[in-house]
Amino acid sequence: MPEFLETTVDKFIFRVATDRYYNSEGVWAQAEASRLPLGEGAGVRVRIGLSDFLQQRSGDVAFAEVQPEGTLLAFGDEVAVIETIKADISLAAPVTGRIVEVNPAMEIAPEVINQDPYGEGWLAVMEASAWESDRARLLDPQAYFLEMKQEAEEEAKRL
Amino acid sequence: MSEGRRKVVIVPCSGIGKTYGTVSREAAYEVTEDMRPAQAQLVALSLLVLGDEAARAAVAGSPAVTIDGCKLACATKMVEESGGTVARDFAVLDVYRRHRQFKPKGIAELNEAGHELARVLAEEIVAVVDSLSRDDGGENA
Repeated sequence: MPEFLETTVDKFIFRVATDRYYNSEGVWAQAEASRLPLGEGAGVRVRIGLSDFLQQRSGDVAFAEVQPEGTLLAFGDEVAVIETIKADISLAAPVTGRIVEVNPAMEIAPEVINQDPYGEGWLAVMEASAWESDRARLLDPQAYFLEMKQEAEEEAKRL
Repeated sequence: MSEGRRKVVIVPCSGIGKTYGTVSREAAYEVTEDMRPAQAQLVALSLLVLGDEAARAAVAGSPAVTIDGCKLACATKMVEESGGTVARDFAVLDVYRRHRQFKPKGIAELNEAGHELARVLAEEIVAVVDSLSRDDGGENA
């Protein structure tokens, strides 16, 4: 179970898991302990998903369309589009690499993104070809937490 | 429907400025004003929130069908908190997932797909209203 940084803004509670990295829009990337078997590439398996803040701000997910397995993506390319009750949201890949696994729940029960964003609601696993350099471009949990908190507070003031 | 028979209460989402809330209300109007006016009546969620006695009495005395626009499920929760019995709770999002071709847009005025989604939802509600009316001995079964 991950540990969390937590803040309350207005009536909302936002949590940031401390065991992964984030891009500034709130897509997380978590390197897995095991590497891919030899012959399938030497990249690091990186699981990706939405932060709690991103899923709450996006609203209830109606559909989630993740790029299919085998798709090669560069850092920042569109990895998925989620359709929520508020908008269609394009999500940027937090690593460069190939999609090796798509969460089957995205097809049949995408609401799991809202229910468990850091667990069962993961989007995909990518074989990251340059994990170390990509990680340096991402935010660590504390940095993302501060950025997210500021954004949430500014949004609360606007409402 | 014979005189004095209980009408099914329809309680839609009150989310103003929300597309799914608008769909829920449009479906509720279709059911209560056009499709089954003799068997169903609309109760505004805002009246339940305010504790309006007539609204509370209506939900306490009849089966209710709630239509929620989001996962907060305010309509369902308020009916339960008002002493009512939720016979069936609909979520607009679930209906949309089954009818993706009807993607609702707009707030004050829905797009055509939104109207279609509201119609589909209204038809599903009518089926429940008819079933409840049969259980209640309604003649429109």
